[in-house]
Amino acid sequence: MSAVRRLALPIVLVLGLCARLEAQGWPEQTATLFDGRVTLGGEATATVAPEDKGHFTYTDYERSSLQLVRLGIAAAIRPIDRVAFVVDLRAEGDTSGGNWSAIPVALYVRVRPWRDRPFDIQAGRIPPVFGVAGRHIYASDNVLIGTPLAWQYLTVLRADAVPANADELIYARSYGWQPGYSVGDDGYARGVPLATAFRYDTGVEARIGDDRSLVSVAVALTNGTLSAPGLRSSNGGPQVSTHVALHPSPAWLIGGSYADGRFVADTVRDGLPASQSGGRYPQRTIGADAEYSVGHVLLRAELVAARWTLPVLGPPPIDNPLWATGVSVEGRYKIAPGVTAALRGDHLGFNDQTGTYVTLPWDAPVSRIEGGVSWAATRHVIVRGSIQHNSRSRGLMRHETLPAAQVTLWF
Amino acid sequence: MTAVSAGQSRGASVRGRVELPRVPVMVERRPASGELGEGPPRDAAEWRRAVVYFETAPKGAFESEEREDVHARMDQRSETFVPHLLAVTVGTTVDFPNDDRTYHNVFSLSKPKRFDLGRYAAGRSKSVRFDRPGVVRVFCEIHSHMNAFILVFTHRFFGVTDPDGRYQIDGVPPGTYTLVAWVEGTVRDSRSITVTPDSRVVEADFPLR
Repeated sequence: MSAVRRLALPIVLVLGLCARLEAQGWPEQTATLFDGRVTLGGEATATVAPEDKGHFTYTDYERSSLQLVRLGIAAAIRPIDRVAFVVDLRAEGDTSGGNWSAIPVALYVRVRPWRDRPFDIQAGRIPPVFGVAGRHIYASDNVLIGTPLAWQYLTVLRADAVPANADELIYARSYGWQPGYSVGDDGYARGVPLATAFRYDTGVEARIGDDRSLVSVAVALTNGTLSAPGLRSSNGGPQVSTHVALHPSPAWLIGGSYADGRFVADTVRDGLPASQSGGRYPQRTIGADAEYSVGHVLLRAELVAARWTLPVLGPPPIDNPLWATGVSVEGRYKIAPGVTAALRGDHLGFNDQTGTYVTLPWDAPVSRIEGGVSWAATRHVIVRGSIQHNSRSRGLMRHETLPAAQVTLWF
Repeated sequence: MTAVSAGQSRGASVRGRVELPRVPVMVERRPASGELGEGPPRDAAEWRRAVVYFETAPKGAFESEEREDVHARMDQRSETFVPHLLAVTVGTTVDFPNDDRTYHNVFSLSKPKRFDLGRYAAGRSKSVRFDRPGVVRVFCEIHSHMNAFILVFTHRFFGVTDPDGRYQIDGVPPGTYTLVAWVEGTVRDSRSITVTPDSRVVEADFPLR
């Protein structure tokens, strides 16, 4: 059955629901209960696209971001002033017949000690402070359907298994959707992106300043890493991450980020030779982001550069650190009320590793260009169309063009 | 000689009070889980307004009126549209000054007027002329909790309540009319009133439940 036919029913259902809600007077504002103590928001998204045979768009939930069916409900519960519990429940499936998952993406308490001072503390399963794209997970935040490569594309690295030498690593190039290694978990499983936009980490975060401040700083201490966040610590130590944002004028938003956390899982480290088991094996990541907007134009750029250190176990040795750098540049323009066009260029590159016979980037560099248009039929019903072209220097498919269509209902 | 009453020469005033059952809850921010903290506090005082209007305009209401370049104003302040509710006549130009320290992006997808003013900074203003009657929902694309109503009438027989819920519509010629109380997108009540040639003031309250 083609992807289009598989998604026909969900799309018809979503459109029918939209039409029904519109006819009944779909609420134009956020739903509140108990005198404003509870605020609800939600989103239903269905996306149709051809099968991604090159696995360019697969996420760490092992499904294509272009074949996503997502239902999300978010609630902010404020039992007393200045304290809010935020929960974001999300169920996801895909139109290619993959499994559904339902998780609390976010579940945290937010405390604002002083009402008029922009200082907040959040604890629980919290959004990433690093960069910006990871906090724009819902379709209603985006014009394009795809996700920037640094936040979605699966590299060949895994936290629960590591290559025994450089040859093993080079051999896995471009198979980030299911690399297998001889140290640690010996099965095939997905690799990790540089940073994931699809899962939140667990810990505590503090922020000083907000969008109105010249400078705002956020710092977080969490269990996992940017690429492998988790509910509980499985890598022997916490990650420290921070983001500093400058707002020199309303038109500009400039940010810098840094994160440092242990990457290799305890289960791998415990099985290493004594000479290697004491290593920290971190993922250190730096980021830079900038946004400029005026009138009907918005320009956004983000850089994510991750550096991993892996155990050096056998010849030919892995030449640490392993670098991966993702750069994305996006422009949006509002053509008419409710109609926005966008274009994004994206590249992910890797540093060289020397194996027995060759010297190559440790994963296959990949590039993507994506263009699309979104149309807000009403404020709460958004229809999108996009087309992306992916290219990679190695793999099952080296070039792939993927059109996609998406319907989003949000409130 | 026949004495001419005040009601015949200038029309009567229709006035009264719209009593809301309770202060409506201010629209909160959409609970976006990706936020790193709360937004700034906002003022809830603007959420007590209603519009009272004549369902059908008095005969001849449109004949002698000259359309001037009428302007009204809707500010963007503390991530709130002020006023939250604006009532204007067809042909009015509404100015949307940004009095905040952040960007706003005022837009509407309502059928009477679709517009998108784009992003502009504090101290700047953009304007929209409303040429068709109806209800226009106004939003900010950046701040999803910012919303407002603009009611565009073909006649001038309407009034927006003050903070105490009081309204007044002046210059009403004699006749029998249906008076409507409108709150937050909904017609909440209506009643019939009669203005006689001798009427100076007609009281019409709306104790909404």
